[in-house]
Amino acid sequence: MTAAEEATVASENGDESGETLELRNIVKTFQKPGQGQILVLDEVDLDVEAGAFISLLGPSGCGKTTLMNVVSGLIEPDGGTMRRGGRDVSPDDLSLGYIFQEPRLLNWKTVAGNIEFALEARDVPEAEWDERIERYLEMVNLADEGDNYPTRLSGGMKQRVAIARALATEPEIMLMDEPFSSLDEITARDLRQELLDIWNREEKTILFVTHDINEAVFLSDYIYMMNTDGEMFARRDIDIDRPRQYDDPDIAQREAELYKEFHEQVVD
Amino acid sequence: MDRLTRYLYTVASIVTLLALWYAGGVTLPEVVPGLPETYTALVVVLTTPGPYDHMFYFHVWKTIQMLFASLIVSMIAGTLLGVALGRSETLESTLATWVYAWLAIPSLVIVFVSAIWIGFDASSGYFAIPLVITPFVGLNMWEGARNLDDDLAEMAEFFGAGRVQTFTDIIIPQLAPFLFASFRSALSIGWKITLLVEAFLLTRGVGFMFRRYFDQYDLPTMMSWLIIFVVFLIVVEYGVLAPLHERVMEWRPDAEGVRVTE
Ligand SMILES: Nc1ncnc2c1ncn2[C@@H]1O[C@H](COP(=O)(O)OP(=O)(O)OP(=O)(O)O)[C@@H](O)[C@H]1O
Ligand SMILES: [Mg+2]
Repeated sequence: MTAAEEATVASENGDESGETLELRNIVKTFQKPGQGQILVLDEVDLDVEAGAFISLLGPSGCGKTTLMNVVSGLIEPDGGTMRRGGRDVSPDDLSLGYIFQEPRLLNWKTVAGNIEFALEARDVPEAEWDERIERYLEMVNLADEGDNYPTRLSGGMKQRVAIARALATEPEIMLMDEPFSSLDEITARDLRQELLDIWNREEKTILFVTHDINEAVFLSDYIYMMNTDGEMFARRDIDIDRPRQYDDPDIAQREAELYKEFHEQVVD
Repeated sequence: MDRLTRYLYTVASIVTLLALWYAGGVTLPEVVPGLPETYTALVVVLTTPGPYDHMFYFHVWKTIQMLFASLIVSMIAGTLLGVALGRSETLESTLATWVYAWLAIPSLVIVFVSAIWIGFDASSGYFAIPLVITPFVGLNMWEGARNLDDDLAEMAEFFGAGRVQTFTDIIIPQLAPFLFASFRSALSIGWKITLLVEAFLLTRGVGFMFRRYFDQYDLPTMMSWLIIFVVFLIVVEYGVLAPLHERVMEWRPDAEGVRVTE
């Protein structure tokens, strides 16, 4: 069987994992006091290829979080479609994990309790909880912190708990909204490496938001670039072999190219 | 400050107060009930059958009953009111003025009007006291509901948490500090109103005892009843509220538990 035939069989069975999630012409406007309607997403197209590491790059306020919220189903777009394997899908049909821009942990629950919260919400059978908590806390190197409270963890540790919480629901696609932007560079580099290991091992699809060009180039298979008018103005592939090194001159060069493109967008 | 020092300061403050009281009783016997006389009166109140052949705890119990029944009603009504105000802009703009107006009504007026409407019996107390304290609870919970974290609500929605789970795991823990603050202020206001009701309308309870011994000009016995109830309230605070508060707020970072700061 060829790959194309396999894909057809898969979609006939209703199993569309392995197919690309295609967002087309997504439009979202917000009502802003004093400014009237503002267009935050202007006919945005986005392809989320299965198994890929995709970054969404853009300056602050351009609509990155809004787009993630559309994919996750937290906000309803004013227009546009989401398709996969040739048919319309809604966020409810997707298996998603979301790591928000802030850790968004429940401070009154232990680390393990926070993961349980998500498992309970997702109706995971209680018999599986302990095993999953252990497995995913270990994956983010927090095996010993299960009984600790988030208020006693550092910022980086909290972000790891948020990652473990998302992983524990065993999603196919992970949405990550600037998860490392509030961390110092040393911690962020460690976490990026861990994330790439997990992505490799668990064969996840990751849609990663950032405003850091270097981070996007280091992590991604391909990058979408947005401007402040809410337009997705470019998609660029990053064909640099993995594992990548921060001091790789190829990365620096690609970063410079992308920066130039951004700059030209702003000047226009 | 460590435990022992704190304990010493508490003891020192009590001793100072007693000394001042004693001195006051000696120099101004008309105004301040003497310390030894009050002690004797307290022993009498605690050990002998009171009016109507009842021991002191009958009256204390009646007061507690009325106070706590009112507190339960007010906590529920006030929380519902406050959360409704904090979560709905329509209700907030419709009702805010009236809540402030309600707060402005003197409690004495509420007590008297209740007596006229309902009569000189316990029912007017059960009506008037919740009516006085509910807006205070409402005001507190209003503030709490206004500060609910939308980000956490969004997180719960994303993971698909149901109503019950959202309420118990997201909403209640955020309201907990406000519930404690509300209960404390409701307790201290409520007890004063209960006393007022008992003194003016009823023939039992601590308030009635005040009135009775006021009529007899018996300052030391009035003082004894005050001491009994103040001690009770302190026991409630240190024996119930404070430990409970500490347990519920266990997750808060304490000086030693903090490992790393952000
Ligand atoms: N709920 C909302 N109501 C009104 N306006 C909103 C709302 N959410 C976002 N916006 C506006 O939409 C625009 C895009 O916001 P968004 O949060 O998507 O930006 P972002 O790209 O994620 O920025 P950052 O990098 O700073 O997180 C901003 O101008 C913001 O003010
Ligand atoms: Mg954002």
